[in-house]
Amino acid sequence: MHGYAGKILLINLTTEEITVLNTSDYEEWGGGHGIGSKLFWDLVPDKTISCFDPANVVTIMSSPLSGTMVPGASSRTEVQGIGSQTYPEWFTRSNFGGRFSAMLKYAGWDGIAVTGKASKPVWIDIRNDDVQIRDADGLWGEGTWETQKKIWEYVTGEPVINDWLEFASGETAVRTTQRPAVLTIGLAGETLSRMACLIHDAGAAAGQGGFGAVWGSKNLKAVSVIGTGSITIADPDELLSSRLWAQREYGNDLYHPEASAWTWFGVDGKDQMMWKTGGNARLHACIGCHRGCHERSEKAFKNESMCSETYLFVYAGQEAINNDTEETYRPTYLAQSLGLNANEIIKGYSYIKALYQMGVMGPGKEIDCDLPFDKLDTLEFMEKLYDLIISRKGVGDDMAEGFYRAAERWGRLEKDLGTNLLYYAYWGMPTHSSYDPRAEVHWGYGTILGDRDINEHDFCFIFWKNFTTKGNPPLDAETVVKIVTDKMEPYNGDLFMLDASTENIYSDHVAKLVAWHRHYTRFWKESALYCDNRWPDFVNTKAPDNKGLSGEGEPRFYNAVTGKKLSFADGVALGQKIWNLDNAIWTLQGRHRDMVRFEEFIYQEPFAGRGGPDTNYILPWFENGTWSYRKVNGRFLDKQKVEEFKTRFYELEGWDTATGWPRRSTLESQGLDYVADALEEKGKLGAP
Amino acid sequence: MSEKTHQERTSLNTITRREFIKYSGMAVIGACVVGCKGGPGGKVEVNWGFLLVDMKKCQGCMSCMLACSLTHHGVENLSLSRIQVLQNPFEAWPNDLTLVQCRQCVKPSCVAVCPTRALSYDPAYGNVTTVDITKCIGCRRCVSACSYQPSRAIWNFEEGHSQKCDLCAYTPHWNEKGGPEGKQACREICPLGAIVFTKVIPDQEGDDGYNVNLRGEEWARLGYPTD
Repeated sequence: MHGYAGKILLINLTTEEITVLNTSDYEEWGGGHGIGSKLFWDLVPDKTISCFDPANVVTIMSSPLSGTMVPGASSRTEVQGIGSQTYPEWFTRSNFGGRFSAMLKYAGWDGIAVTGKASKPVWIDIRNDDVQIRDADGLWGEGTWETQKKIWEYVTGEPVINDWLEFASGETAVRTTQRPAVLTIGLAGETLSRMACLIHDAGAAAGQGGFGAVWGSKNLKAVSVIGTGSITIADPDELLSSRLWAQREYGNDLYHPEASAWTWFGVDGKDQMMWKTGGNARLHACIGCHRGCHERSEKAFKNESMCSETYLFVYAGQEAINNDTEETYRPTYLAQSLGLNANEIIKGYSYIKALYQMGVMGPGKEIDCDLPFDKLDTLEFMEKLYDLIISRKGVGDDMAEGFYRAAERWGRLEKDLGTNLLYYAYWGMPTHSSYDPRAEVHWGYGTILGDRDINEHDFCFIFWKNFTTKGNPPLDAETVVKIVTDKMEPYNGDLFMLDASTENIYSDHVAKLVAWHRHYTRFWKESALYCDNRWPDFVNTKAPDNKGLSGEGEPRFYNAVTGKKLSFADGVALGQKIWNLDNAIWTLQGRHRDMVRFEEFIYQEPFAGRGGPDTNYILPWFENGTWSYRKVNGRFLDKQKVEEFKTRFYELEGWDTATGWPRRSTLESQGLDYVADALEEKGKLGAP
Repeated sequence: MSEKTHQERTSLNTITRREFIKYSGMAVIGACVVGCKGGPGGKVEVNWGFLLVDMKKCQGCMSCMLACSLTHHGVENLSLSRIQVLQNPFEAWPNDLTLVQCRQCVKPSCVAVCPTRALSYDPAYGNVTTVDITKCIGCRRCVSACSYQPSRAIWNFEEGHSQKCDLCAYTPHWNEKGGPEGKQACREICPLGAIVFTKVIPDQEGDDGYNVNLRGEEWARLGYPTD
């Protein structure tokens, strides 16, 4: 089993029983999400339980590529289980970078499954084969950064690590210079906030899903792992030569950055940070990655944060993006330290600010609270807001449940969703900024047909390249559409998958786009764990004919590591199988097609109707026999047509169009007979 | 001492033949007879060579470590890598990261203490010091003798012998010519070009000769400091 460690750790916190599972029993699922879904299927007999039920299982999975030099695939860790964030609570997923999964593999484990509930706060200490459940006295109540520092010192016995550390002694002694990789919750998780994340190192976070609260409910503060073992590689020379080939032919060239301007694989990583970058800092990368996307700075509180969390400053009163003051980065640091989901905080902040300005929220108002609204848009306000959420005092108790549930408690849910005041388009989650369902329909469809804001940027480079060039990207729409769709096996060749025209967005073509996207990501990105920030590489202006690495790259690296002969299409097909297992789990949880919907504002409010940068949302558009780039702002989705789209999608997937439940024939065609049996037993099997 | 560019440093801090002999001592003179020569400007070159790194440019991806263990051992294992990156993600730049490579010392204490002469100058590869694992008895004196922290002589606890950077002279899992006249995997894979190879002897005192400035205009374009 090249690439695999060979064992999966099952820890029952109630009984303190530690069990070793053989990875080979799960190898057919590839790794990451695939194995996590199958573990969940096997270990949670009653899928209808609450996320806070001790029987809920949280899986933390690596892939065969974790801890290897596969570019943009070494660092990701997939987290699954019934999450606390969505409404209702779905079996869901999250994913983070850094070095946790790599260290897990070096320790000899492909993953961890945690079930049960400890009688008091604990943390899990993994040192290669030695696994201990330890008392979390002294850690419970600490921030995520402080917790990690304390665990490092406990495990290594050293306050400062600058030498070889030796574990065990004598003939069994092993050595490393590395700190343990720790995944931990902060106060948000301890207080069961549904906005609570899992944090690793300075800025890596499993942010969506509310897994911090699930850990908190299990009295699990942290998991620490230090490993010194080896991951065997099927073809080392092929792996290294492939890495060098990809880096050379498709990667960013520091000396000629313009050459690789249009690509995910070779993108200049700094554009992933919203605040001012550069200065006394370094570009920093996760383990094994060819291109860093975050920084470590002389202002250490900024370290390793990227994307949405670096946007918190906008709402803390920093009008200018070039400000680089403590006010800029402290709200981010606090969110990281408390383990709070920045994406929810950003949307929630806008919401309560609007409620205040409407005279609804504030001292003595309908929503009575003592937040210092006279200091809106200041660091002081942000700190008070965080304090209120963490303490669960007053309305803080409501907000700790996430702003969707808070609005429900305040009796404003329907009203504020209808007016778009609460910008939550699906599953009680914030609409992902820019990638609004009315613009990027595949993002919206994928989200409602799944379990969460998909947060998969595979096709979004088309928008970004248009956005950053003000509608004059280096490649014309038809060229881009051809390059991308040519790679989308088994639906390759259907250009209209990427036709964003309003007429086409409910079509069979877009159903194929959404299906391909679900299948591709389920395996290649969430099971093989290729990073969303570097893959897929559809279009690459550095490469011949501008054709990116994807299609060839994913299986080439996977096979070099594992020795398998998986094709790109094989991976997509395995993704479809994983996707079907997920849908079976959701079906058992109570999913029905009637629940698969957007909130009303998506059907009523025009996209970007209030102005802002989204008014320049430009995508490929086919009209009168010609491809062009066109703005998609101003449109909203047609509710009836969305329903028709769902029917098309279900038919394409082989699911019952009346319920959205899987059909036996579909499941059996994928070797999931036992899943069909379980659904039938519960009366949830789709009609033939 | 302020940093200089790599070019400046090699001209400012290389040592003279007289200094080289002073540093090297008698143990190295034998190797020098076939392994060193005077270079331009009085620089002393050797046949083996040295890896120089830029700790401020390093992005901490540890690809160099992964390449090292892969090419030498066919596995991914940070502990077996002969180049090490130590990091503290909570520390402020530039103290968040230390990148340490074997210095290929002109007076290598690891060689001097080996009781079985398992560590020796390898004439097949320009007299780079290597470990003959058939002679290594696992006493780890070389690991302890390394003057630098963490030790650049590595204890391979999986196979029970010492090892050190051989400039990729012996990389059975890589179909490329390595060693002083070939490629070094860590240098090849570094995405930012934070590792270079030279045959000019770096300043043997302190770390400045080995930790150089490899940041140029392209680095300034990214907005990071080049001084």
